[in-house]
Amino acid sequence: MALIELRDINKTYDNGQPLHVLKGIDLDIGRGEFVSIMGASGSGKSTLLNILGILDNYDTGTYHLDGKLIKNLSEVQAASYRNRMIGFIFQSFNLIGYKNAVENVELPLYYQGVGRRERHEKAMAFLEKLGIADWASHFPNEMSGGQKQRVAIARALITSPQIILADEPTGALDSVTSVEVMHLLKELNAQEGITIVVVTHESGVANETDKIIHIRDGVIGRIEENRQHNAWGGPIIK
Amino acid sequence: MRDIFYEIYCSLSQNKLRTALTGFAVSWGIFLLICLLGAGNGLMNSFMGNMSDYVSRSMHVESWQTSKPYAGYKEGRRIYLDEGDVDITAGPLFSDHVDVVAKQTEGTSVKLTYGRESVDGYLTGVTDTYRELEKVQMSAGRFISPLDMAQKRKVIIIGSGQAAELSRGNPESMLGKWIGAGNISLQVIGIYHTDESRMQRGVNIPYTTYKAIFNSDDKVDAISFSFHGLETLEDNKAFEDEYKAVLKARHDIAPDDEMGLWIWNRFTGNLEMSKAENIIRIALWILGLLTLVSGIVGVSNIMLIAVRERTHEFGIRKALGARPRDIMKLIIAESVTITAIFGYIGMFLGIVACEVMDKTIGARAVNIGFDEIRMLVNPSVGIDTAFLATLLLIVAGTVAGAIPARKATHVKPIEALRAE
Repeated sequence: MALIELRDINKTYDNGQPLHVLKGIDLDIGRGEFVSIMGASGSGKSTLLNILGILDNYDTGTYHLDGKLIKNLSEVQAASYRNRMIGFIFQSFNLIGYKNAVENVELPLYYQGVGRRERHEKAMAFLEKLGIADWASHFPNEMSGGQKQRVAIARALITSPQIILADEPTGALDSVTSVEVMHLLKELNAQEGITIVVVTHESGVANETDKIIHIRDGVIGRIEENRQHNAWGGPIIK
Repeated sequence: MRDIFYEIYCSLSQNKLRTALTGFAVSWGIFLLICLLGAGNGLMNSFMGNMSDYVSRSMHVESWQTSKPYAGYKEGRRIYLDEGDVDITAGPLFSDHVDVVAKQTEGTSVKLTYGRESVDGYLTGVTDTYRELEKVQMSAGRFISPLDMAQKRKVIIIGSGQAAELSRGNPESMLGKWIGAGNISLQVIGIYHTDESRMQRGVNIPYTTYKAIFNSDDKVDAISFSFHGLETLEDNKAFEDEYKAVLKARHDIAPDDEMGLWIWNRFTGNLEMSKAENIIRIALWILGLLTLVSGIVGVSNIMLIAVRERTHEFGIRKALGARPRDIMKLIIAESVTITAIFGYIGMFLGIVACEVMDKTIGARAVNIGFDEIRMLVNPSVGIDTAFLATLLLIVAGTVAGAIPARKATHVKPIEALRAE
């Protein structure tokens, strides 16, 4: 069974005028895959990612994550699944401004009830792994975009989640840093076998992934196998 | 626990101005509450101090000018009580209720002198029963005895304040000393305790001695007596009417003349007083609580804003696995911390303010003619009241935080993340 199994997912936003954003999405993502979801803005790709991340609910259909049906969860259950199974990487990093790097990384473990010392050691280990241990006691506003995203990645990894969901992870980064971050994700996927789903509208970013899922007007279009990373005739990051 | 406090510390130090303003609202509320209650207690203590001097079940009878013509007399006639009235009061007619009877002369201002020291005094002649009726507390020596009365001894009872002044600080040394009172010489046989609420100036000599020195008639300026068996206002009223009727008949005062003879009933007076006291106390609490409410509203308001500002942060926390309970805990703990810390500061300042009141207003005595009274005596709140107020504040802090916290926990994580 696939790690992620979506069957006929529909989602309508009703802000005065109903807006049918997702129109029957069927999608399987297997364990250890490195996938990108591509589409123009308004295509529904972010909504899809939010549903995958249990940040938003859907109207009809079924979503199984690691065999568990994700539907009508209580807030406590949803929080627990997000905490243990999913790691988030956001475009705007979403670090907490008044916490330094290591405290930000510790946060998911805090909500698991892990003790201070253990939390700190583990967070430091992940910062080390991502090469920013020296910045552990720095606050987000003292760090560059690339460093911030590394902190965010460390935070996403610390609970050893089944899946990493990255929403435009390079959207706020310059091209050099973008390449670095994508290589980092690639490495994590290759070496640790972590399932990674990246949402992007940049073809260069999508080209780094092994599979590209095109979404358009709320339906899944083409699914491209991209093991050779030459979807657009070779690496073309920005 | 430690984590929560660290979170609160970060959040509060992040918003210093906001924290300070909220804190001020809370501190101010509790400060005013403590001050009001303290001042109220001071006022009560002053009342009660002045009241407790007297046997509460006693009446004081004096006479004055008539206001109505009666039995051939014109109005405006000065009535004088006399020994006959005393005998009737103590006699079989009223023995069902009357216990101890005392009589008293009018007062005379005198200068008390001893060596080179002198002090003002207000001299009255009293009977040996006066002590029991007026609850005179002796701090040294003895009160006037029946023998003093019978032998018209030249003895005097002075206040401890006066004794201290005359002896330059060693009041008990005045016992047995002869002091001057006007142009007569009297031996100090007793010193009564002057309580801190009043700078009492009254000095007493035997009734018979006073009469022998100043005027040897049988006029009595005031009669007082203790009584029993009159429990309600109605009982008291009935007794007073009966008593007045007898005396009015003796002195040819019109039965409906309110002026010729009057009675001050301390028992019913006290009933009225304690009613007034309760009303004042309740009013003070209400005022205090209302000020506190403004503080609480302040906290709630600020927490609402804080929650709004932090919606995005709560979104992040939720995405990372924070349960609604965790968010709730964070906000309420912050609210409680603010109210508790600043409430404690306000309470402390309030207590300091009460001390200052005690030293300033409390130390100042107001002259009310025959006596001096301190407006505030020991204005302070009990430690139990202070803790009650603080507890109230913490509960209030919880409530103040709970409303915004509920709001925050019900925002969907995706909406919270979108908020900026």
